[in-house]
Amino acid sequence: MIESREALATMFSAKGSKVNTNRGAEYYDSLMKTMTKRLEELEKSPAATKTSIKSVLEAEGLTRRDFMKWASAACAALMLPSNFTPLIAKAAELMNRIPVIWIELQDCAGNSEAILRSDAPTIDELILETISLEFHETLMAAAGHQAETHLDEAMETFKGKYLCVVEGAIPLAMDGLYGTIGAKAETFKDHLLRVAKDSAAVVAVGTCATFGGVPAASPNPTGAVGVQDVVRGKAIINIPACPANPANITGTILHFVLSGQIPELDHLNRPKFAFGYRIHDNCERRAHFDAGEFVEEWGDQGAQNNFCLYKMGCKGPMTYNNCSIVRYNSGTNWPIGAGHGCIGCSEPQFWDKYAQERPMSDTHFKAPGGGVEKTVDEFGLGILTVAGIGIGIHAAASVIAGNKEGDK
Amino acid sequence: MIKLIEKIEGEAKLNFSFKDEKIDFVTIEFMSTRNIENILKGKHALDALVINPRVCGICGHAHLIATVQALEDCYEDLKISNKAKIIRELTLNFELIQNHFKWFYLTLLPLFGHKQQVLKATYPSQLMAKAIALFGGQYPHTSYTIVGGVVCEPTEMDIIKLNHYIDETIRFFENNLVKTDSNSFLLSDKIDKFLEYEGDLITILQQIKEDDMLALGKSYDRFISFGENSYFKKAKSIKTKVNDSVSIEYVKESDIPSSFAKSVTFKENYYEVGPLARAMINKAALVKDSHRKYGDSIFSRILARVCETSQLLAHSKKLLERLDLSEPSYINPNVDISKINGSGTSAVEAARGSLIHKVELQNGIIQNYEIITPTQWNLSGGTKKKQGVSQKAMIGLSDTKTAELVFKTFDVCSVCTTH
Repeated sequence: MIESREALATMFSAKGSKVNTNRGAEYYDSLMKTMTKRLEELEKSPAATKTSIKSVLEAEGLTRRDFMKWASAACAALMLPSNFTPLIAKAAELMNRIPVIWIELQDCAGNSEAILRSDAPTIDELILETISLEFHETLMAAAGHQAETHLDEAMETFKGKYLCVVEGAIPLAMDGLYGTIGAKAETFKDHLLRVAKDSAAVVAVGTCATFGGVPAASPNPTGAVGVQDVVRGKAIINIPACPANPANITGTILHFVLSGQIPELDHLNRPKFAFGYRIHDNCERRAHFDAGEFVEEWGDQGAQNNFCLYKMGCKGPMTYNNCSIVRYNSGTNWPIGAGHGCIGCSEPQFWDKYAQERPMSDTHFKAPGGGVEKTVDEFGLGILTVAGIGIGIHAAASVIAGNKEGDK
Repeated sequence: MIKLIEKIEGEAKLNFSFKDEKIDFVTIEFMSTRNIENILKGKHALDALVINPRVCGICGHAHLIATVQALEDCYEDLKISNKAKIIRELTLNFELIQNHFKWFYLTLLPLFGHKQQVLKATYPSQLMAKAIALFGGQYPHTSYTIVGGVVCEPTEMDIIKLNHYIDETIRFFENNLVKTDSNSFLLSDKIDKFLEYEGDLITILQQIKEDDMLALGKSYDRFISFGENSYFKKAKSIKTKVNDSVSIEYVKESDIPSSFAKSVTFKENYYEVGPLARAMINKAALVKDSHRKYGDSIFSRILARVCETSQLLAHSKKLLERLDLSEPSYINPNVDISKINGSGTSAVEAARGSLIHKVELQNGIIQNYEIITPTQWNLSGGTKKKQGVSQKAMIGLSDTKTAELVFKTFDVCSVCTTH
């Protein structure tokens, strides 16, 4: 018991397992300067849409105070000190300078859906009214041939400036014939390459676009892969999860507006501000894990008392995402809050390796190790195996402990 | 002439042929697929509970409920508590409601020359998504339902929140779609009198009347619905004659050349599914009056979908009163799923119509999985001699723009269809 505790303590205090949230005054001062300069330049450039955040706020009866509340929350989410809040507010006001082209490939439209019921009181307005969503099939007025022309125009007008947001995997089997788009039956691969070519950066949203997702589940009948397997020579930001959390999509776009650069990424190209922690690290049921209190069977006393779901197959200890903090649907709830374990939906190949309800320690699957850079991310996959085993010991020990108490 | 139809949550290609300046025939093609049925083969039965909601980001919850019911159908004698049953039904209702709002404000309005109203679409759908999240953890893509019940343990606090979300959505409906209190709306049974109200729905219906579009979009006048719960019934309706002897065993799928979607028939015939079908089977007074006057036209189809929103909101309130939190959320099935050999079938009513799942298990491993989606029913591609439901509704029209309008009143979801 004590040994497993120590193993856990070592694991959670491992050097690599920390996201650096305090980089010192010098760093932030220079960042502040860079960002201020960037925003000044942006301000001078013409707006891609006429809608401004001010008019949106007024139309919706929201006050400046509401807006600033949102800005300070966004500032914290991006792991910036609070004196950046005015900059965030300004960046949001300048969001209409950054054109976004959103394309859907082999997908279920779940990420679009998620963003339609996005996070925080004013984010909807921010996203839908002031980001210049230059092209989005579900949301734009034009359709069909007209839409195709519209896409070409947007790509030409904002050449080199737009963010290309991709939802869905790319089927490569049968020369890509499992997915085509438009009257000319352009394959998803060609479509993606064409739109990505002149973009400032590519944002892969959802697990399908990042790692192939459900279409890539064994036996991967359509040969589905993620954006990073197809697009080369471009900055790619991966925002996995199924669906991706709208807060993380907004955060990434906001970061791009602020700095003109992509946020700091981990070895899987995921922004660290969102994927720097495991679900387990900030889980509301964590105290029960530490106390060895587990749900042993659906509907038992443990389930009724919100005990830890590890033994019911929760993949929280292996999954990097901020769900436990940000939650879903404007912070209403999240899967563990509803009593279902995490299914690891933001990890690569989770359909085959993670999604099962069986606890990790009971499966033959071992988390992959090695071959990962020696930075923050060495912690990434390498330590996962250890985590699995360490936690396995802990969970098993708690059963023995429980039995012993029962014997008395 | 080829026309691309978008904003249907994905894309479909409609290939029109004209004769004497009228649409003579149209083929409907879906150009992508993920082959999810093949992915499911060989996987552990419970994996389907996680994979299937991802068939569709728009109606994924219906897929979750259909999956759990199909798996439960594999058991000989499985009990689930009333509480679990009600919670499953509530969350499914919420999904239908939010879909209907989004369809009206995002898809339908632009077709009548109005501006798409994104915020009016998102406000009520956010509320309903929150309502689902209270039980399910998140929306879209929840996995909170399991064989034997549900995993959530809602508290009185959650119920208070839930009531608030429903009331607020009802208030939105009353202030925007039909400006009257829901009780008098739900009691309306005369369409002419109904049109005296104001609201976004009335504006559209009046426009259809004024622009002489009342005869548009008629098809076979043949409806079917397979999902059963405390609100929906399993039956078919030929014109107004309702007959409840329908069995899923007569449902057949067949390939359509050049499309990734499959056709589906009941006893070799095409049927319309969705809110209009459900209203005809439920004999909803207002929709029936509209149907008596204007048949299965776009007028009745649009009316039925919006009416259903209000009816489901009211019904959800009633369901909530029946919810007893002291009941168990989960009843252990006693037989482990790895010992189950057999097959199961389920049908649930999704926003766009009946969704059918069929599964075969051997020692708890999926041998075969079949998914028949609502849009497959409405968009089944037939031949010139035997046209599908939406094909028939479009033939004879003089331009593709009107055809697109008719097509979209079926509320097409290509994402599901291209599973």
